[in-house]
Amino acid sequence: MSENPTSSQVAEVAIIGAGPSGLTAATRLTKAGLKPVVFDLNAAPGGQVYRQVESPQADLRVTGIDYRLGQRVVEAFRRARVDYRPDSRVWWVQRVDAGFELGVLHEGRSAVWRARRLILCHGAMERPFPFPGWQLPGVMTAGAAQILLKQGGLLPEDAPILVGSGPLIYLLGWQYLQAGHPPTCILDLTPRLQWRLPLRQPGKAWHARGYLFKGLKMMLALKRAGVAIERDIEALEAIGDKVLEQIRYRQRGHWKQRPASLLLSHVGVMPETHLTRSLGLTHRWHAEQQSFLPVRDDTLSADENLWVVGDGAAIGGAVNAMREGTLSALEVIASYHGLTKKERHERDGLRRERARDLCARQLLDAMFLPSLNIDAMPEETIICRCEALTRGDLDQAISDGAEGPNQLKAFTRCGMGPCQGRQCSLNATLLLSRRLAQTPDQIGQWQIRPPVQTITLGELATSSMVENRVT
Amino acid sequence: MFRRLPETASDSAEVTLWVDGEPQQVGATLSVAAALLQQRGWAEYRLHHDGTPRAPLCMMGVCHDCLITIDGEPNRQGCLVIVKDGMRIETQMPAAQPTPGASTG
Repeated sequence: MSENPTSSQVAEVAIIGAGPSGLTAATRLTKAGLKPVVFDLNAAPGGQVYRQVESPQADLRVTGIDYRLGQRVVEAFRRARVDYRPDSRVWWVQRVDAGFELGVLHEGRSAVWRARRLILCHGAMERPFPFPGWQLPGVMTAGAAQILLKQGGLLPEDAPILVGSGPLIYLLGWQYLQAGHPPTCILDLTPRLQWRLPLRQPGKAWHARGYLFKGLKMMLALKRAGVAIERDIEALEAIGDKVLEQIRYRQRGHWKQRPASLLLSHVGVMPETHLTRSLGLTHRWHAEQQSFLPVRDDTLSADENLWVVGDGAAIGGAVNAMREGTLSALEVIASYHGLTKKERHERDGLRRERARDLCARQLLDAMFLPSLNIDAMPEETIICRCEALTRGDLDQAISDGAEGPNQLKAFTRCGMGPCQGRQCSLNATLLLSRRLAQTPDQIGQWQIRPPVQTITLGELATSSMVENRVT
Repeated sequence: MFRRLPETASDSAEVTLWVDGEPQQVGATLSVAAALLQQRGWAEYRLHHDGTPRAPLCMMGVCHDCLITIDGEPNRQGCLVIVKDGMRIETQMPAAQPTPGASTG
């Protein structure tokens, strides 16, 4: 495996991702005299939540005051003068002895890095939300629309319809309202009963009060501005010939129709697990977050010399991700030379705050539990967008004898397109789980092998060492 | 289509993109996919191999529905590449394209 070790570069600690957790981890390690190297897919620090924070394209009145926190975190990171490598795709990671090797693609060339310790801060993705017509141009995620707003101050020309569940739907609606272009309506998929959860769990509601008041404030502002908020939605379809033209939805048993040019959908976020799965880490189904999460111990470590933090490990939000980043840095510092009394105090304080915040998170998870099930979608609903495979296609393969995710993939090509199964893996597992009456843990997810990021054959050819490793 | 917030339109740097041979002035902070959504909208972004039109879904490197030809190289993720002055973009409309990274399975 190490025919030519001289041609690899060495990092004391490698950090993948420059969102909230990667930034605080790198900053804290540097403060302790260590030299982390940060690799990030994006061109600028901040991750998705603090995208474009160094040169904002929309003012804080629109993006919201929370954005300022991101500015402070990025400023501290810049002051620490970390070895920061933006536009870098980590396309494979493997364990070598007690450390790791990483394949990093930058400007069309691939390099091999070695690291003794690794902190994964790669973040979350929006939960794929299939419904008939979601592949039509004119259907995007709410997260995508928010990226356009942050990156370029871009707003939809015609008022969009927002659909889904979770805080981001109302945040985006409120941001569009602040910019003077409110959405026409919000189809809220959160079951009514779930909105009453804070009343039944006052303890958790107290910890979550900040989030709840913020959400309520946004919802009231939207209502006052005349944005229709429709509830009790039982089914949804996007309709159009070449682009979205209208949406249909069933509300309390009745089908309704609305003209639409842009539909922005969102049913929460979940950890992006390609990296952690490619490392062979154990993942468990987490019913409250409706996601597979890598298993970590109390020190946020998932394996020897490996930490997984932030929303790439479990959804906790940006503030929690910053805490976890700092906590992982303190664990790395402890593994080098133990902690001083002051550092132990810092760690214990962060752990307490984290426990409090995660208590609030449990309530938010329960309130915004996704409500439309994949197995209840009409059979023409596309599940694997890349290979254009429908729910019916997958059900056919299951009745033909596909007993697990790897078989389903081999039978149908589900998950074998350019996105490498990021958009269909979870839904394929959930469909198998329902049809075969097994838990998601029993079904599992298909294996992930490198490349974990898209790489062209030309880029592959730039890396002389690659042939020995990943073929 | 997307448009810029009025207050940012004036004081932001712009670059020239060549989209299917035509020059377009776009904001310098945008990704290629974002620039196209602003200039041309989502109607004629990409034709999928099953013959249906597709456009970016996630804008953060996950969905791969933003694949586009950048400076002659097909199937780049348009949402991850920031625009540069003089960049040549070809929308992948005319025919089915081979998928990148053939050994993804």
